[in-house]
Amino acid sequence: MLLAMLLCYAGFVALCLSMDRHHSDLLGRKASAGRRQSLRLGGWSLLGLSLWAAVAAAGWGLGLVQWCAVLMLSALLLVLLLPYGPRLALWLAALGLLASPLAAVAQF
Amino acid sequence: MKEGFRQSMAWLHTWSGLVLGWLLFAIFLTGTLAYFKAEISHWMQPEVPARAVSTDSSLALAQGYLQQHASGAGRWFINLPDAREPALSVMWQGPVKPGERGAFMEKLLDPATGSEIQARETRGGEFFYRFHFQLQMPHPWGRWLATGAAMVMFVALISGIITHKKIFKDFFTFRPHKGQRSWLDGHNALGVLVLPFHLMITYSSLVIFMSMVMPASILTAYNGDTRAFFNEAFPGTNNAPAAGKPGVLMPMGPMVEQARQQWSGGRIGRIAVNNPGDENASVNVFRHSGDRVVHDFGSVISFNGVTGQLLRVSPEQSLPAAIAGSFYGLHMGVFAGPVLRWLYFICGLAGTAMIGTGLVIWLGKRQLKHAKSGVMPFELRLVEVLNIASMSGLVVAVAAFFWANRLLPVSVAERADWEVNSFFMVWALSLLHAAVRRGRRAWVEQLGLAALLFAAVPLLDLLTSPAGLVTSDWMLAGFDLTCLGSGVFLAWAAWKMQHPSHTRPSPQPRAERLRSLALKNEVN
Repeated sequence: MLLAMLLCYAGFVALCLSMDRHHSDLLGRKASAGRRQSLRLGGWSLLGLSLWAAVAAAGWGLGLVQWCAVLMLSALLLVLLLPYGPRLALWLAALGLLASPLAAVAQF
Repeated sequence: MKEGFRQSMAWLHTWSGLVLGWLLFAIFLTGTLAYFKAEISHWMQPEVPARAVSTDSSLALAQGYLQQHASGAGRWFINLPDAREPALSVMWQGPVKPGERGAFMEKLLDPATGSEIQARETRGGEFFYRFHFQLQMPHPWGRWLATGAAMVMFVALISGIITHKKIFKDFFTFRPHKGQRSWLDGHNALGVLVLPFHLMITYSSLVIFMSMVMPASILTAYNGDTRAFFNEAFPGTNNAPAAGKPGVLMPMGPMVEQARQQWSGGRIGRIAVNNPGDENASVNVFRHSGDRVVHDFGSVISFNGVTGQLLRVSPEQSLPAAIAGSFYGLHMGVFAGPVLRWLYFICGLAGTAMIGTGLVIWLGKRQLKHAKSGVMPFELRLVEVLNIASMSGLVVAVAAFFWANRLLPVSVAERADWEVNSFFMVWALSLLHAAVRRGRRAWVEQLGLAALLFAAVPLLDLLTSPAGLVTSDWMLAGFDLTCLGSGVFLAWAAWKMQHPSHTRPSPQPRAERLRSLALKNEVN
C-alpha cells in the first residue's frame, strides 16, 4: 500500500504541474506545451503504475479498494498542502519517487 | 422550468442539501465513528484486558464456561477474541419452547483465564453504529428516515456534480483566507476528490436497505410473502431439532481447525451451538466477515456436535448475492486493516466536512444580503441555530458521551442508558445555547468547549482507568491520541471563528466587489 501511495501522490503532483495555472504558481514560470504534455503523460502513467502496485500487493478485490482509498487521500493531501506548503508538496513528491524503489523492494 | 438544466440542478442541490443536511451531518459523523466501534467500545470498557491469546485455548475456555453455567440452554453463541475485540464473549439462549423464544444472557470472559469480567455497562461504539441508521427512533421509522436521507444525499451528490462547472479545471484548487470563496473551494475539493467514497457509501446504504426501500420485485415474485424471500436468500442452517436424549458435546477445537482448513486459512468469526446437551447437538462455525471484501452472510460450516462429523459446507455465493455482498462489505469496511481503516475514517470525515461546508455556504451566501442592515430574518436565524447545534453541538455531545462513560458510577442502575441520555441532553442543551447566544459567539463557545473536552480525554483516561490497567495497550493510546488531536483541531476551528480572515472594511474595493458578484452567481 505504501508503494501505491507514493506513486499516486507523485502522479497527482505531475498532473497538477501539467496545468498552466498551477505550474506558474508552483514553479514561477509558464510551462511549454511539450513539457505539459510529458507531465500529463507521466502523471497518468504513475497513477496506472500505482494501480498495478496495489493490485499486485493485495489481489484485485482488496487491491482495488486500497487503490481507491490511496487515490482519494493522496489527492486530498496534495490539495491541502498546495496553499499552505507548496514547496513541501513538491519535495514530498520527489522524496516519494526516490523512495518508491525501496518500497517496491520491500513489497516484492 | 424556464431556466437551464444546470440552474435547476443547482436549485435542487441547494435545497435538498439544506433540508436534510443537518441530519446527514449527524449520520455521517456517527457513521464515521462507527468505523472504530470496536476500538471505542474497548476504551469504554477498560476492564477488558487486551491480550494476545490463541483462539484454540479461548474456545476451550468458553466451552468449559458454558458447560458449567449454561448446560441446559437451547443455544450457545461464542465470539472469539480478535485483534480489535479483545474480549471472549459468550451468549446463550434459554431452552427453546415451541412458540416462544428463550431469553438471551451474555457474559464477557477473560480469554486467558476463562473467568467472567465485570465490565461496566455501556453501549460503547455500538451506540454510534446503531444511531447512524436507526437515529434512536422506534423500529421501522429511524431506518426509513435514514434511508430517505441517503436517497436525498444521492440526489444532492448527482446534482452537485452537474452544478459544478469546472471539475477538472479546479481539481487541485483550494484558496484559503478568502471567506466565502474558501468555503466553496473546500466544499468542492472535498466533494470531488473523495467522490468515489461518497458515491460508494451513499449508494451502498441504499443497497443495504433495498428490501425495505424497493420491495416491489420481492412482493411480486413471492406473492407478497417477504419472509419466503429471506428464507430462500439466507437459508438457515437447518440443523436437526433436539432429540430429547442427552448427549456429550465433543471439544470444538478440532471442528474449528477443520473449518479453517476448508476456508484455506480463513479466520473464525462466531460459533453457534444448537442443543448443546442433546444427542442432536450441532455446531455451526461462521467465517470472520473481515476475511474478504465481499461480504457473505451465510459462510458457515456445520458439524455434528456429538460425533464431530462434518454435516454441511455452505455453497458459494450466487452472483447477485456477491454483488449485494460487495456493496455491504465496502460500506462496513470490516475487512480493513489498521491503515485502510484510518483511510476509511478520513474519507468519512471528509464526507462530514463536505456536508458541513455546504450548510455554512448556504447560510453565508444569504447572510451577505442582510449584512448591511444587521437584522437577520427569522428563517436565516433558524438555519444558523440549527447549523450550530447540529455541527458543533453534536461534537460536544460525542465528547459528553465519552465523559459520561468514565464519570458515571459503575453501579448506577441502567447505566448504559444514562450514557446515551447524557449524549442527547448535551445535544439538546447545545441547541438551547445556540438559540440564546449570537451566532459567532455560539460557534466559538461550543467549539471551544468541544476542544477542551476532547483534549482532556487522555487526562480523563489516566485518572479514571481502573488501577493496574495503564499498560502498553495501543488501542487505548490510539483513542486518547486521536481525541487529543481532535481537541487541537477543534481549538483551531474555534480560534478561526473568533478571528475571521475575511472581515474587510467596507466599502469594498472594486475588484473585490466584482469577485464577490461573480462568486454569488457561482454559488447559486
